[in-house]
Amino acid sequence: MKKLVLLRRSSQLIFLSLFVYILWSTTYPMTGIFPPATFFSLDPLLVMMTSISERVIVAGFLYSLGMLALAAVFGRLFCGWVCPIGACVDMAGTTQRRKAVLSDEHNSLISKPKFYILTLILVIAIYGRQVAWVMDPIALAGRFVSLNLIPATTFILNKIFAILIRDMGMTGAVRDLYHSLKPTFLGVKAYYFSNAGIVLIYFIAVAGASLILRRLWCRMLCPLGALYALAGSAAPFKRIVDKCLLCENCGNECRMGAIRRDMSYVRGECVLCMDCVYRCPARGVRFGFGLPRPAEEAPGRDAISRGQFLSFLTASAASFISIPFLKADPAEASETDDARRVGIIRPPAALEEIDFKDRCVRCGNCMKVCVTNGLQPVMLEAGYSGIWTPRLMPNIGYCEYKCTLCGKTCPTGAIPPLTLERKMRTRLGVAEVDKSKCLPWAEGKECIVCQEHCPVAEKAIALDVDPVSGLQKPRIVEELCVGCGICQNKCPVRPLRAVTVSPRVSDRTRV
Amino acid sequence: MMASSLALLPFAGNFLGRAEAADSKEAGFNGRPNSGIKGDYDLVIAKGEDPYNITVKAVESMGGMGRFVKKGATVLIKPNIGWDRTPEQAGNTNPRVVAALADMAYRAGAKRVNVFDITCNDARRCYANSGIEAAAAAAGARAYIPDDWDVVKAHFGLRGAASPMEDWPILREAVECDTFINVPVLKHHALTRLTLSMKNLMGVCGGNRGLMHFNIGPKLVDLTRFINPDLTVIDAYRVLTRNGPSGGSLDDVKTLKTVIAATDPTLADAYAARLADVDPMAVPYIKTAVKEKFGSADIEAAKSITIDA
Repeated sequence: MKKLVLLRRSSQLIFLSLFVYILWSTTYPMTGIFPPATFFSLDPLLVMMTSISERVIVAGFLYSLGMLALAAVFGRLFCGWVCPIGACVDMAGTTQRRKAVLSDEHNSLISKPKFYILTLILVIAIYGRQVAWVMDPIALAGRFVSLNLIPATTFILNKIFAILIRDMGMTGAVRDLYHSLKPTFLGVKAYYFSNAGIVLIYFIAVAGASLILRRLWCRMLCPLGALYALAGSAAPFKRIVDKCLLCENCGNECRMGAIRRDMSYVRGECVLCMDCVYRCPARGVRFGFGLPRPAEEAPGRDAISRGQFLSFLTASAASFISIPFLKADPAEASETDDARRVGIIRPPAALEEIDFKDRCVRCGNCMKVCVTNGLQPVMLEAGYSGIWTPRLMPNIGYCEYKCTLCGKTCPTGAIPPLTLERKMRTRLGVAEVDKSKCLPWAEGKECIVCQEHCPVAEKAIALDVDPVSGLQKPRIVEELCVGCGICQNKCPVRPLRAVTVSPRVSDRTRV
Repeated sequence: MMASSLALLPFAGNFLGRAEAADSKEAGFNGRPNSGIKGDYDLVIAKGEDPYNITVKAVESMGGMGRFVKKGATVLIKPNIGWDRTPEQAGNTNPRVVAALADMAYRAGAKRVNVFDITCNDARRCYANSGIEAAAAAAGARAYIPDDWDVVKAHFGLRGAASPMEDWPILREAVECDTFINVPVLKHHALTRLTLSMKNLMGVCGGNRGLMHFNIGPKLVDLTRFINPDLTVIDAYRVLTRNGPSGGSLDDVKTLKTVIAATDPTLADAYAARLADVDPMAVPYIKTAVKEKFGSADIEAAKSITIDA
C-alpha cells in the first residue's frame, strides 16, 4: 500500500520537475517540448476568471473545463498529485511531525476561507476585474520559478564557473561545458529581476504555512483548491472503507483534515494523498468507484453547503446590474488609469491599460522569456492593480527588434501574439534626446552610439552635422521611432542616460 | 552585468591570484606580440561568385594558411556578428567567408578554432541569424558566446598612460590565442564612415564600449596595436552602403563579390575604403594609423595582386 504513496510522491515530483522544465525552456530559441503556457492554460481558476472578467474566451478554456471534469470524477486529484505548490507545501510539511488533525469543528472552520476567497474572486470577476492572480497557486509558482528560482540558480552556477575558469584556470573541458550550457541552460546574461524579493517572500509564506499546519495553504486559502473542491464534492471516485478497527489512524494522519471523528470524510477536502490507505492497519481503505458504505457517508455537511454557495452565486449574479457602473469605460479610464501617465513602458502591443491589468495573470512568462531581460515586474508604480505586471526597463534591457516571444508566451493574450511584420512596426514609446546630457550636444564629444544601434532600417535617429564643430548630433525621427529602447540601453552616458524612451506615444491593442 | 556583480564578491576578483599574475607578468605591454609574419603579397584582392572560394584563393595567394597557423595552434577567427541580421542584409561577416577560414585553419593543423564576437543585439539571435554559428559548427570550429568577465586590462608598457586604451578590459581569449584572424565586413558607419578591420576589433572589448566613440581614431589604432591580428580578411562580398552598421534594408546593400586579405590592417582598411569610394584619410582610424606610422596606407607602394576566381 506504500506503493500508492510512492506513486503519488513520484507524480508530484514529476509534475514539479515538468513545471520547472517548461519555465526553464521558456527562452530563446524556444526548443522546449511543451508550450510555455501549458500549466497556466490548464488552470481553470486563471482561465475562467480571466474569461469572465474580460468577457472573452481565453485560450485554454476547453482544457480547463476538462480539468474541472476530471475533478468532478476524481476529486482534488490535481491538488495532491499535480500541483507544484502542493508539492512544495508537502515538502515543507514533512519537516514537522505535529498532527494535522484538529476537531471536526476546527477542520470545518479552517476549510471555509478558501471558498469565500474564491467567491470574492468570482464576484470581482463578474464586476469586470480579474484578481485571481493574487492567490492562484500556479501563477504564484510560475512567478517564483521564473523570477527567483531560475535567476538564483543560474547566478550561482555562473559564479562557480567564473571562479573555476578565470581564477582556477580551468580553460579546457570546463570552459567548453560552460560555453555549451550558456546559450540555453544558464542564459547569456544572468537573469535579474528588480523587486523579485517580494515574490520570494510570498512563496516562502505559502509553503512555510505548512510548518504551522500541514497543507494549511491548500486547506484554508487556495482558491484553485476551492474550485476543485466544489467540482469534486460529489466525485464518484472516492474513499471506500471495507474494514475498520476504529483505530483512528487515518483521521489522525490526514494532512487535509478531511476525515471526521466518525470516519466519514469530506470529499472536497481530500487530495487523494493515499496516506490513509497506507496507514490503515486493517488494510481496509481503498479508493475506487463504488457504492458508499454507511460508515463513510455518514451525515455531515461538506465544508461549504450548497445553500451557502448558491447564495453567493445569486449575489454575484445580481451584481451584474452594477457592471455599467463598475467596469469603467476604457476611454474614460485611460485618462485616470494609464501607464503612459506614470511613464511605464508596456510590452509591444499590450492591451489598453485597464484591460491589460485585468488580463495579465502575473505568471512571469514574458519576463522570463525576454531575451534582453528588459521586461521587469512592476511594484506599485501602476497602482495596486498593477503589481507584478511587466514593464520594459531600457536601462536593464531593450526590446529586441525582431523578437516576438513575449506575446507568444502570454497565456491570456494580455500581450497579443504578433507577427514579425507587425512587431517591427509596433511602437512601445518614443525616444527623446536630453541635450543637456548627450555627449555631442552637451560636451562636444563624438558619439552617435544611439544612431548606430537603431534597428529601424531607415534609422529613427537622424544625425545633424553641427556647422561649426562638425559634430554629428542625434535627433529623433518620431515618425520612424518604435521606442524599442536600444538607444537608451546602449547610451554610454552615466548615471542617467541621455536618450530615454517615453511611453507617451505607444500602440496598445484595443479589445 | 556579470562583470559588475562579480566585483561585489570580495573573493571572486583574484581568487588564487591568477588574474593578477597574468596581468603584471612584464609590468608593461600585455597584449598579443606582433608575429611579424608576412604574406607573399602585401595585399590580395580576390573577386568571384563564391565567397568561400574567393576567400580560399585570397589566403592561398598570401602563401597559404600554413604560414599563419602553426600545428597545434589555437586560432581565433573574429568576424562581425554584431547584429540580428541575415547574411543578405550584410550587417555581419559572410558566414561562407568564416567557414572557408576555419576549414583552412584546420587543414593547416590548428588544434582548435574559436569564433566569437561581443554582439550588439542579443547574442543568441545574432549567432543564429547571421548564419555564422551554423557555418562555424559545420567546419568544426567552436562558435560560442564569450565571457565578458574573463578579461585582461590592457597595458601598453612604454606608451603607458599616454594610450587612450590603457586599462580597457579586453577578452582574455582574444589575447591568449596563437593566431588571430580578423574578419570584418565592409560596411557603412556614421561616425567612422566605414566599419573595417580596426573597428571590428571593438568586438573583443568589454566595458562601456560606447565611450570608445570619442577620440575613436587613436583608440582603435591602439586597440589594433594591442591585438596585433596576424591576418586580416575583409569581407566585401555584400556591402552595406547606407544606414550602417546595422542596416536592415536590402536596398542599402551592394554586391561587390570581393574579399581583401593583408597582414597589415592599415593597408587592408585603406584598400577597402577605396573600394567603397571613401577617401582612406577620411576614416579616422586610418588617418591616425598613418600619422603614427602604424602600418601603411600607401596602396600603390604595396605589393598587391588581384585574382578573379
